[in-house]
Amino acid sequence: MVLTGAAAWFFWAFALIALIAGLFTVLSRSAVHSAVCLMTTLFATAGLFLLLGAEFVMGVQILVYVGGVVVLFLFVIMLVNVREERLENARLFSRQWLIAAICATVLGLAMWFGIRLADPYQNLRAEIPPAEATEAKTNPQGATPVSKNSETLAWSLYTQAALPFEIASLLLLVAILGSVLLARTSRQERIDERSVFRD
Amino acid sequence: MIDGSLFDLSASTTKFLILSSLLFVIGVGGVLARRNIIVIFMSIELILNAVNINFIAFTRHWQVLGKINEHTGELFTIFVITVAAAEAAIGLGIVVSLYRNRETVAVDEIDLLKW
Repeated sequence: MVLTGAAAWFFWAFALIALIAGLFTVLSRSAVHSAVCLMTTLFATAGLFLLLGAEFVMGVQILVYVGGVVVLFLFVIMLVNVREERLENARLFSRQWLIAAICATVLGLAMWFGIRLADPYQNLRAEIPPAEATEAKTNPQGATPVSKNSETLAWSLYTQAALPFEIASLLLLVAILGSVLLARTSRQERIDERSVFRD
Repeated sequence: MIDGSLFDLSASTTKFLILSSLLFVIGVGGVLARRNIIVIFMSIELILNAVNINFIAFTRHWQVLGKINEHTGELFTIFVITVAAAEAAIGLGIVVSLYRNRETVAVDEIDLLKW
């Protein structure tokens, strides 16, 4: 699989944005800045998904990650007081930060050698031209071709992965109940206990 | 269309793998080194995101190689996003109740179970 031309330029732009914003997610002093940088990384990743022809996953990424998870992060930052971290003398990193950096570097080198071993830039090369390109040329209407990605993905989701789909819905139900129970204050718990004992 | 080396401008599957491994390493460094538990959660999201890039890149790779209806990686990505959303909801609920009890979100001050 090789992207060339404008797609390659978009790849480099999105990759740089994702990497720099990911770095600032980890390094920035304020947690709100971290959340905004995480949002930028997720948007850039959604762009990469679009380049790779996965339109449905791009939509899910923007709706669920950017619209749900990052907003949840921002709410929790608002609820939890992290203001003392903005002071200049506050420690951002724990005491084992050097060991952590060494471990991460070793992991990165291991993955680099893994990629080099598995693919000496030959195995993953695409010899066959992409199927969508020939399909686009034979489009009878002559208009821009509509991607079949969502349709075929939905077909696989409801046939191949029907059982995991149902299990995921159960997981989401349990997560809703668990987060409601976890976020109760002790005052609310006391009120609930009193009403139980009254009955 | 030949991807000759790592240093030409076209974007091959290998470059997607390298990008995702770099994002993964950044996330692992954040998980291991940061003190703020909320930023640690964000680094976990970065790690999951890097894995998602891998899945989508390999799905595209197989599609280009001829299996047009190959969607296993995209299915995996959808489930990873679902589980990440559930995990973020539960984890941030734990963070809120932890802050209510201990008045801190720094992981090296939460050492009740440390021997």
